[in-house]
Amino acid sequence: MMFEQLYTMIPFITTFLTFYAVYLMLSLSLNLEYGYGGIPNFGHVFFESIGAYVAGNLTANLLNWIVAARGGICAYPASHARMMFAPLHPIWIVGMFVFSIIIAALVGGIFGYLASYPALRLKEDFLAITLIFIGEIGRVVVRNERSIACGLVGLTGVPNPFIWLRDPNLMFIAYTVLAILFAAGSYMIIKRFVNSPFGRLLKSVRDDDLVAMTLGKHVPKARAWALILGSSVAAVAGVIKVFFAQGVFADDYVPLITFVVLSMVILGGMANNKGVLLGALVMTALDFMISPSFFTVFGVTLQLNVAYIKYIITGVVIIAILLFRPQGLISERPVETPGLDIAKRAGVMKPTAGLEIPAERDEADS
Amino acid sequence: MDLILPVLNSITLGSLFTLMALGLTLTFSVTRIVNFAHAELVAIGGYVTAVVTNYIGLSIYESLVAAFVASAILALAMDELAFKPLYKRGSPTLFLLVASIGIDLVVRFSLFLTADATGNIIIQTKVPIQPLMPLGKTYLTTFQVVVIPLTLAVVVVLHALFHYTKVGKALRAMADNEDLARVSGIKIYTLRRLAWMLVGGTAGLAGGLWSIYLVIDPDFGWNSLLRIFAASILGGFTSFWGTVIGGYIIGFAENLGIATLNTWFGVSTAYAPLISFAIIVAVFLIKPSGFAGIDLSSLLAKLRGLHKNLEPEAEG
Repeated sequence: MMFEQLYTMIPFITTFLTFYAVYLMLSLSLNLEYGYGGIPNFGHVFFESIGAYVAGNLTANLLNWIVAARGGICAYPASHARMMFAPLHPIWIVGMFVFSIIIAALVGGIFGYLASYPALRLKEDFLAITLIFIGEIGRVVVRNERSIACGLVGLTGVPNPFIWLRDPNLMFIAYTVLAILFAAGSYMIIKRFVNSPFGRLLKSVRDDDLVAMTLGKHVPKARAWALILGSSVAAVAGVIKVFFAQGVFADDYVPLITFVVLSMVILGGMANNKGVLLGALVMTALDFMISPSFFTVFGVTLQLNVAYIKYIITGVVIIAILLFRPQGLISERPVETPGLDIAKRAGVMKPTAGLEIPAERDEADS
Repeated sequence: MDLILPVLNSITLGSLFTLMALGLTLTFSVTRIVNFAHAELVAIGGYVTAVVTNYIGLSIYESLVAAFVASAILALAMDELAFKPLYKRGSPTLFLLVASIGIDLVVRFSLFLTADATGNIIIQTKVPIQPLMPLGKTYLTTFQVVVIPLTLAVVVVLHALFHYTKVGKALRAMADNEDLARVSGIKIYTLRRLAWMLVGGTAGLAGGLWSIYLVIDPDFGWNSLLRIFAASILGGFTSFWGTVIGGYIIGFAENLGIATLNTWFGVSTAYAPLISFAIIVAVFLIKPSGFAGIDLSSLLAKLRGLHKNLEPEAEG
């Protein structure tokens, strides 16, 4: 009985965990750029979508070439032929996945490097404006260029790399494990990155780039590397999502996604990866709990469209955290160096160093 | 090709974009906030106008006043509940920008929720637009006769308020250096409230006029935001006259410009937002002060200087 119930829950649990992994990769990379580097990359969804388009387009074109399908990647017969081909040839399909990940990471990194051109020249709020609208513009272009992801209709027939396992539940479980491994890998890489001397440089650039410059540090290089690494992790997250959904749809990549990811970073705590783990978990859980299908599980049918409530809560979270707890749920910690360990053990240093919040201005005439 | 209709449309759209962007310019020049929630002030204005006219049955002018008031109240609430507390705590400008994104989400999706529940996801103010006089193959309508002078009137009033009254002087002082303005006895928070009410009011008015011109949905504010920002940034983000020029340039670029590109180069008209985006990037990278940064008198002097330099050669 217990086992049967668990068995029916598999699609729900695996979907949740895969989405958590994708959101985690997105929020960790945004945290690297915005939390540690102070670069307001609010066009994060654009870099995610690059990975998605690269993976979708590459896989569809190569498989089309193998199966010799006619009518281009968007035609339904070609899409059907791809999905039929995949279960019979596990090597090809797993190879395509690996190849997509590598190419997407590279292309994402290149776009991140390109984004560092305005990032070095603009004031941070102007940079935020530019990057937010890049997210919108990317969608406009892909909607109209049918060759990238079939425009408005969307590209289908991108087979899951574990489709050859035949049993859908087994496939979902295997893919979820893979997604979590990727998320864990991103976490480790970013953790190593920010705890290295380079991470300390990044923080110092965020706090005052002039001081970093006077100490002989190369500020543009620090910013460029943060954007390159962040964007390529975001692109890999996009690939993971595409192979899970088995399709790419341009209208999925709206600036709203960036804002949800931003709320995860702010809720968890800027410049704190453990906080982001928590923030992403809370917001993903919220995303899943406030959905019509979740309510119907409990036999409740709602008249309202609950998707709207989800975004209202996201907005409220952003404002409330900024107002009442700007450091987030878990505040920023000093960079983990061997020296810090020794200092902690000797009791020389307090282990916290978060955002300093100046005292309120007096309200004489407010 | 008959140019009168596209030119007339461009001017109308340009006026609407200008009216929307004036508030953004005012926000940035007085409070230094890059306000993404500005889109929702426009959207609320549009909805209030449409609902008051269609359901309550007031005249269009009364509805526009209602839109002005509603958006002004919303703008004031935004500032009092979110921006002012953050500002008083000395938050960096980027925090205020992020807060404005949060406010945008709350207002936009609350509007979606109510509009969806009452069956008004798509709405248009029911006001007949009548043709006044023939103009080539098309007509000059009552809408254009109202919108274009109204926009210019708002700009003139704002300009006069800023440059020829004591309140305007205080506002400019506050924009320049808030602490210094405060020690000179200017009540900065009272002025701040006034500024936000003007911001909300003009945005609401623009949204109301837009809802007469075209069908609106709760996303229309957000979808116009790129053009609003482009117009304001083109005007240097701080100058009213710059914003007017910017607004009309965007109006022409998104209408006549994309149509020209479409006929000559086969560019899809769906790429219209790319023009606004290219303008934003170009202005940021090349001349962040926009049109406001172009000093006309020095430019004239330079031209004259050039002329003088040429003269001796002509004599010699």
